[in-house]
Amino acid sequence: MIQLFHVSKTYLPNYRALTDINLEVKRGEFVFLGGPSGAGKSTLLKLLFRQEEPSEGQILIDGKNVTRLPNRQVAQLRRKIGLIFQEFKLLPDLTVLDNVALAAEVIGISKKVSRAKAYQLLRELGLQERYDSKPLSLSGGEQQRVAIARALVNEPMLVLADEPTGNLDAEVAEETMRLLFKIRDKGATIVVATHDLNLINRYGTRVILLQRGALADDLMLASWQENGK
Amino acid sequence: MRIALAGFVLRRVRHNLWQQFWTHVLTCGTVAMTLFVFGAFMLVEINLTHLLRDWGQQIQLTAYLAKNLEPAALQALLKRVQTLPEVEHVRHISQEQAWRDFQSALGAQSGLLEGLPRDVLPASLEISLKPARSDGTVVEQLAQRLKQEKAITIVDYPQEWVERLELIVLAVEWAKWIFGGVLFLATFFIVGSTVKLAMLARQAEVEIMQLVGASEELIQAPFVLEGMIQGVVGGTIALTLLWVGYLSLKNETMSLAGFLAPLGQIQFLDLQNIVLLLVIGWLLGAMASVVSLRRFLKTWNSSRGER
Repeated sequence: MIQLFHVSKTYLPNYRALTDINLEVKRGEFVFLGGPSGAGKSTLLKLLFRQEEPSEGQILIDGKNVTRLPNRQVAQLRRKIGLIFQEFKLLPDLTVLDNVALAAEVIGISKKVSRAKAYQLLRELGLQERYDSKPLSLSGGEQQRVAIARALVNEPMLVLADEPTGNLDAEVAEETMRLLFKIRDKGATIVVATHDLNLINRYGTRVILLQRGALADDLMLASWQENGK
Repeated sequence: MRIALAGFVLRRVRHNLWQQFWTHVLTCGTVAMTLFVFGAFMLVEINLTHLLRDWGQQIQLTAYLAKNLEPAALQALLKRVQTLPEVEHVRHISQEQAWRDFQSALGAQSGLLEGLPRDVLPASLEISLKPARSDGTVVEQLAQRLKQEKAITIVDYPQEWVERLELIVLAVEWAKWIFGGVLFLATFFIVGSTVKLAMLARQAEVEIMQLVGASEELIQAPFVLEGMIQGVVGGTIALTLLWVGYLSLKNETMSLAGFLAPLGQIQFLDLQNIVLLLVIGWLLGAMASVVSLRRFLKTWNSSRGER
């Protein structure tokens, strides 16, 4: 699903955020992108959804080289990717339902169908009672679930989450992670960037560790399977 | 899909117009002021042209004839002049008729003519022009052609007046484009700034739309449509103000009847000019939005690492 070949990113004048990254993530995998703040996790995610371009190297998503996609095709790429952020990025003047439906409406799905899909997702995430509320009246956990619903409304093949539990307490963070695993079980590939090693250790899955912009380790933790989760 | 996207854009426009109501009202006012000034120049130009045409219809050339012209030669000359494309009507004034006209023009002083021979005044042709053929160049060309006739000695016509009026119309036309151009430029930047303000206010919305895969066209469409609406609404306000101004001026000039008789028939913009004014407003709004948006998005995207 994701292939990176000798990818580097340098910000002007001379800050090297990523150095010679080579990795592959298979379809349906759940991968943690770990490392301390400033290790290059967010930069790597930005390269994947083409908010930024690598200075060197090539990136393939679902077999397609996204390194130098023209703008028109960047929008097409992002329709296949669900994005989740630490700060939720919800529009405060739209209702919860409209926030979720927005992602479907902008790709040409009718208002009626978009809202129906959005409502269905909110119901699956236990937010059906809050569909008409404004995001700021919701708790952090609820807002993150709305953001997840928005990321899923177009049934993406890849979900990229940047510190999705960063603003949540432990219990809600746990719930959010369970939700992401559920999405993986339905066939999507998930990449979660986090600096929280406790969170990574709790779930036995593949971890790609970044250190000062370089790939420090790529290992498979066993605790998930051992815990029988 | 296209219908769904059009519906989405219209919903965003309705939402945004309501959210930033007063900003849009101010921009519409600016567009209206610009188009009002431009439209006022158009009105002056149209009415001056109309006046010129009216006067042009009354322009007559007087061709003085050589003495002792044979009747047959006179008839042939009359026929030739009458068939010229510019000529509406030709009237022959004999020497006798000229004498009588001059005598009656002098009135009480006609005694001054005593002792003078009755054939002292030359016979002449009074030539009226067709309405569409009465501009200065045509009058000048016709006069030159008439001068080539052996039977015609002098051609007299009010050239200076025609040229002066034409110059005034030309000056109004130039003033319209110069003032209009400066105002258009100012309005262009004001509408552009409104779009930039709107973009800043809706930065989060634009960012989210980009992240969920909205095309650049879809992101820009509501802003451009809002610009077009501002232009057309501004144009409509300008036309309404011009109409009110026209009506009050018309009433004013009608009460002054005799003195300002020609102005009593002032005309409003015709359909073509009304459409032109609305199209200018529409284009002004659309172009200012597009240019401002492109510039803003370019700067914004590059600051966020996007192309």
